[in-house]
Amino acid sequence: MKTSSDDAAGATGAIEEPPPTGSQTVFLSILRVVGALAIPIVGFGVLAVAFDFLREADANRFLVVGVAIVIGVGGVFFLYWGMNRVIEFLPARYQEGVRPYIFVGPALVILAVFLIYPVINTVLVSFKDRVGEEFVGLDNYRFVFTDESMLRAIRNTFGWIVIVPALGVSIGLAFATLADRLRRGEAVAKSMIFLPMAISFAGASITWRLIYSFRPEGFGTNIGLLNGIMTGLGQDPVSWLDIKPWNNLFLMVIMVWMQTGFAMVVLSAAIKSIPDEILEAARIDGASELQVFRRIIIPTILPTIAVVTTYMVINAMKVFDIVFVMGSPETRGTEVIAERMIDWFFLSNHDGRGAAIAVILFIAIIPVMIVNIRRFREEEAIR
Amino acid sequence: MRKVRMLALPVVLVMIAAACSAEESSDGNGGGGQAENKGTVNVLNALEPEENAVLQAIADDLINPEVDYVVEFEQSGDFEQQVQIRAEGGTLDVILLPQPGSVQAQAEGGNAVSLEDLGFDIGELEGTFGEYFLSLGEFEGEHYGIPTNINLKSMVWYPKDDFDAAGYTVPSTFDEMIALSDQIKADGGTPWCVGFESEAATGWPATDWMEDIMLATAGTETYTQWVNHEIPFNDPAVQNAGELFGDIMFTDGYVLGGADQTPSIAFGDAPGPMFQDPPGCWLHRQASFITAFFPEDAEAGVDYDWFPFPSVEQQGTLFAGELAVVFSNRPEVVDFLERFMGEEVQCQMGSEPGSSRISPNVNVGPDCYPNPILAGASEVLTEALAGGGAAGFDASDQMPPEVGSGTFWTEMMSYMQEGPDSLPTVLETIEASWPAE
Repeated sequence: MKTSSDDAAGATGAIEEPPPTGSQTVFLSILRVVGALAIPIVGFGVLAVAFDFLREADANRFLVVGVAIVIGVGGVFFLYWGMNRVIEFLPARYQEGVRPYIFVGPALVILAVFLIYPVINTVLVSFKDRVGEEFVGLDNYRFVFTDESMLRAIRNTFGWIVIVPALGVSIGLAFATLADRLRRGEAVAKSMIFLPMAISFAGASITWRLIYSFRPEGFGTNIGLLNGIMTGLGQDPVSWLDIKPWNNLFLMVIMVWMQTGFAMVVLSAAIKSIPDEILEAARIDGASELQVFRRIIIPTILPTIAVVTTYMVINAMKVFDIVFVMGSPETRGTEVIAERMIDWFFLSNHDGRGAAIAVILFIAIIPVMIVNIRRFREEEAIR
Repeated sequence: MRKVRMLALPVVLVMIAAACSAEESSDGNGGGGQAENKGTVNVLNALEPEENAVLQAIADDLINPEVDYVVEFEQSGDFEQQVQIRAEGGTLDVILLPQPGSVQAQAEGGNAVSLEDLGFDIGELEGTFGEYFLSLGEFEGEHYGIPTNINLKSMVWYPKDDFDAAGYTVPSTFDEMIALSDQIKADGGTPWCVGFESEAATGWPATDWMEDIMLATAGTETYTQWVNHEIPFNDPAVQNAGELFGDIMFTDGYVLGGADQTPSIAFGDAPGPMFQDPPGCWLHRQASFITAFFPEDAEAGVDYDWFPFPSVEQQGTLFAGELAVVFSNRPEVVDFLERFMGEEVQCQMGSEPGSSRISPNVNVGPDCYPNPILAGASEVLTEALAGGGAAGFDASDQMPPEVGSGTFWTEMMSYMQEGPDSLPTVLETIEASWPAE
């Protein structure tokens, strides 16, 4: 969505016309707003009517689905096409001033309704009580920064955003560099590392529950992989997930396991795109492999490393599934911010606190985004 | 230039990730709307799918052929969210709620319809379900919940065949139960199997223990004061109950694996050792539904049996259950409720092998339950409900969620991990978390 809006904004700038008079400007603005709003409003209207009609319909399900797809996709296409035709009836001097808004406007309107409005509303709710009715001032934020469990959640999330990207990127980079040097089997090796990426977070967590599984004496044999190794070596089984605070690290391992593959693939592509001439030149000048790696490979792929890190930081910030599926976050002290948010919203049914935690999480992500966008702009400028 | 192209994919991914993160902070907000009368009555519930299927089969059998509307039981995995969304959208008919506290929240939310408005005679309902159970769904003088299911929590299970062979007898007081535990220990066995792990809800079985002991030590009046926070959570009465609980949990050799392991033993796995030969443990306190976790070949009355949690100074019966809350005032909804809570349907429910439901309707006798465990539980419950005074509804389900499904669970676990001396701190922490009102 964002890229298309950027392109279109560029297109408006390209229009060169004699400066319009005051009344013309007003008229143009009105046309633009109407144009931007018309498609979403008409579109939603048509979809709502079609949805009601199809829901009542007693026809074959596949037929209904087919008709829905035709109406949905074809309808949107027809709307844009129709609006484009309508514009052609306007006086020529308005046409090019309005047209971009017909195409970008709907995206912006939909973005506002589904993204900006909820954000504003969440901020409002965060100042309200349990059911989101009366204002309670800063109570919810006071709670967020004083409650023991919340403080643990903030500490743990901080751990996640430092440790997971650090481990994920360094292991991924190591694999990418080493796999690059394999004579055979590079694809197989990389596929193996990449495989966990295809599993859902919940699925991976369930797998790891079995790896960490622990049963105290008297409750049957230990079926966990790690405890199988422990008992095989003649040691007592260990309740891995109850060792505070290291259990947090054991949970982070799961995300590292899942995301290393992603880091590896992206970094590997970056390494392969380094021109051979540069590497060869360095080697001819007598640089050791380590020097080539540190002085040439790393600086060249730094932007990619930054992007992968950002991606992993954001993922680590939002982690919920792993902590939730592994169970008992409060008893084990493995709470994280997103998990607290779900807990307060849906399990403890306190909308105000849930929203306050959501706002904190949102604010925490902003700096990461700014850094990332700034870096992206710098890259653009170089180009 | 190449670098830039390499950036494109990750950048798009980052944007998607960021967009998702912002979306997560949005909350559901449905518009107002009126449910259309389509001749159906929808019953949204959080039951197990099998149990939902049993209810649907009973409705298809006994209700749907006789009426001009269709009853649909709808089971939902994300029940709480669905209720919230559909209540605001105005598309709910009837929901089956396991927590009385939520009944009041729904009434407060303004979307639920009171039984008075639906035209029910409250006096008559009190005769059917007992005054106490019905009063749990009361909000500002009106009633919002019809009891539709009940389960007995004050149950101690034991491996009957081995138990009898060892010459043990069923205790009738708390002291006798302690004496029995000592005897088992002296014979080289481990008396208790306890497990509190339950994923996001870890700790709830421990609150049941506390509640049982509260009822048995302080009586129903103090119990109700405790639930309503008319006495503090660190009141001497609660302290006393906590100490008795600790006496069982922390006495050396009483609990299989030791108290500090109990938070990581799944509550469903906990009774397992009882069925080993010789039994890994001899006593297990858990509600009636735990039979679903027993080995499939274990036979009620032969391999296992139960006795009511014994009295200390008072007699009390702890139970939990479900209340039907109505969101749509239509004649067919009222008609459905009358049939659903009536003896015919309720009795049929007890005889379904796939269901462990017990009827809260006191007119439904134990004969309706082919399963001897349920029949026995039904007898105890009917007596407690009709007697009025001796029954107590699960306290943690009635307390505000910050406590009832928050600190009460977690602090009980830290009590288990940190030992008997931590009890005062544990109770103070729970007291401090009680929301100011």
